[in-house]
Amino acid sequence: MQYSQTVIDHFMNPHNVGKMEKPDAVATEGSPACGDQVTVYLKVNDDTKIIEDIKFQSYGCASNIATGSIITDLAIGKSLNEAKDITWKEAADALDGLPPVKMHCSVLAVDTLRTAIQNYEIAKGLITPPDFTKETIADELKKVIYPQVGEDIVSLKMVKYIGFTDGVATVDLDIPKFDTFRDNVVEEIKEHLEKYPQVMDIVVNY
Amino acid sequence: MDLKRVYLDNCVTTKPSKEALDAMKIYTDEKFWFPGNFFSTGEEIASALKSFQETFSATIGAKPEEIHFTSSGTIANNIAIKGTLMANSGKGTHVIISNVDYPDILTNVAFFENSGFEVTYLECDTEGFVSADKLKAAIRPDTIMFMTSIANHVVGTIQPVKEYSEVLKTADHKIFFHADACQAYGKIPLNVDELGVNTMTISAHKIHGPQGVGALYIRKGTPVAPVIHGVKRVDVHNTGGINIAGIAGFIKAVEVAFENFDDNVAYLRKLTDYILAKVEAEITHTSINGALGERRAPHNMNISFDYIEGEAITMMLDINGITVATGSACASQGLQANYVLMAMKKTHVQSHGSIKFTVSKYNTIEEIDYTIEKLKAVVDTLRSHSPLFIEKNGK
Repeated sequence: MQYSQTVIDHFMNPHNVGKMEKPDAVATEGSPACGDQVTVYLKVNDDTKIIEDIKFQSYGCASNIATGSIITDLAIGKSLNEAKDITWKEAADALDGLPPVKMHCSVLAVDTLRTAIQNYEIAKGLITPPDFTKETIADELKKVIYPQVGEDIVSLKMVKYIGFTDGVATVDLDIPKFDTFRDNVVEEIKEHLEKYPQVMDIVVNY
Repeated sequence: MDLKRVYLDNCVTTKPSKEALDAMKIYTDEKFWFPGNFFSTGEEIASALKSFQETFSATIGAKPEEIHFTSSGTIANNIAIKGTLMANSGKGTHVIISNVDYPDILTNVAFFENSGFEVTYLECDTEGFVSADKLKAAIRPDTIMFMTSIANHVVGTIQPVKEYSEVLKTADHKIFFHADACQAYGKIPLNVDELGVNTMTISAHKIHGPQGVGALYIRKGTPVAPVIHGVKRVDVHNTGGINIAGIAGFIKAVEVAFENFDDNVAYLRKLTDYILAKVEAEITHTSINGALGERRAPHNMNISFDYIEGEAITMMLDINGITVATGSACASQGLQANYVLMAMKKTHVQSHGSIKFTVSKYNTIEEIDYTIEKLKAVVDTLRSHSPLFIEKNGK
């Protein structure tokens, strides 16, 4: 596995790193158990909805730090709507690419940025918190990357069924028994869904 | 000091010694032949192999004919495990190993588990030890084999092999005992009779020999089915081409390792003790993984650095010219936290933040000083980015 020089540069000298005092919005995604966690802080101009300042903190590997750094560069000066449209592929491209096994770092960084924006919008009464449905599960599964190829498990057609009944989220996966990344994919699915208070239990079948 | 590479990943592989490389030369340049009979070239190699078996066998208290040279420690493990299980499956299909064994053992046993064998995975304690009492409790009438890694490849824990052997001796029926000694050989004294093993594997490149050479000890009388089939040049377990130059280098490395065995081991322990002392004195929020003192392989030191992640630590050290290993999920093949550390009931954060330093005789105190100086800066930098550290310490 080889990191690009841009990844190394952002890892060694990350931009906009650290805690922000009195942010307008903050979000944390990931978990120490999985070995990667990102926090994003925003300062937003209430009139223009422009992101005037952004900071991040990272507990994670080199690409976790580098993707945290690059999304702050991409988001600063943008409107909230523009910043929402930043994709994890764009973030990876801005780093001159990431190894497939590290693509989930880009997803985590972008996801944290989007959650921070959503938290701002909810706090300001601009939107109401979205309902939790099967669609929410499907959207979350699009953030689970199959590390072998660096694409999400929905695009790769690895998800065969999604269910949500009585607080139990069910996901059927098509993944080989001997797949090196099977346990990682299952853990990632659980991590993405267990943050929702509506989800009481998660069943992943494979 | 100049930015030359400080290599502290010697449990993976070691630098081949000049003596070992020199000893190979005659077999690469001139005596490149295969062993055989009735012609001088073949006989010369056969005779060299015999003397190599004698030299090696003496270091583990075995007989020369019980030594089979292989093309790696993993091949030796495959021959021992697959061969023993296949030869003895008529007597039972239950196998006992532990949850901290080397992947060679785990994957071989998983292969048999998927073919109808039953496996008991003994659990280790918080230092990585697997007690003989647990082995005793796991034995069943259909148990045919027990396996262990003598020194653990992650935390250097030296398992109580002689106690295992006593337990196995008292069983009602024969249970074959295989030991992977790749991390232990040259680091702690090993005698096959005292250990009570039936089969044991050793790898050349862990002791400054060349890569691509291993040795398999098979106790006389142990039924082991041949599993690597092909042209027989030496014996049924040792088929195909013979890496005579590699074996010559290996044996020279063995001779060097045993010339000053106690001094070599004392030097390794001095280096790892020094690493621990320096880290404890200079870096906060750390914890040692594994046992202290004589119950730990002398070349291994494994320390967790809280609130930061090991892949990032190893990358920053690498950029500073230092090679170490980590138990972090991000640096693993399957993106999972290291299974040995998790089995030892370490937290995810301790496992992800673990750094393994494994030293060799070529490392120096100056290199360790340089490493700790850089490590201290790396840990400070990464902690300054980490939300976990800031949460806990209010910075």
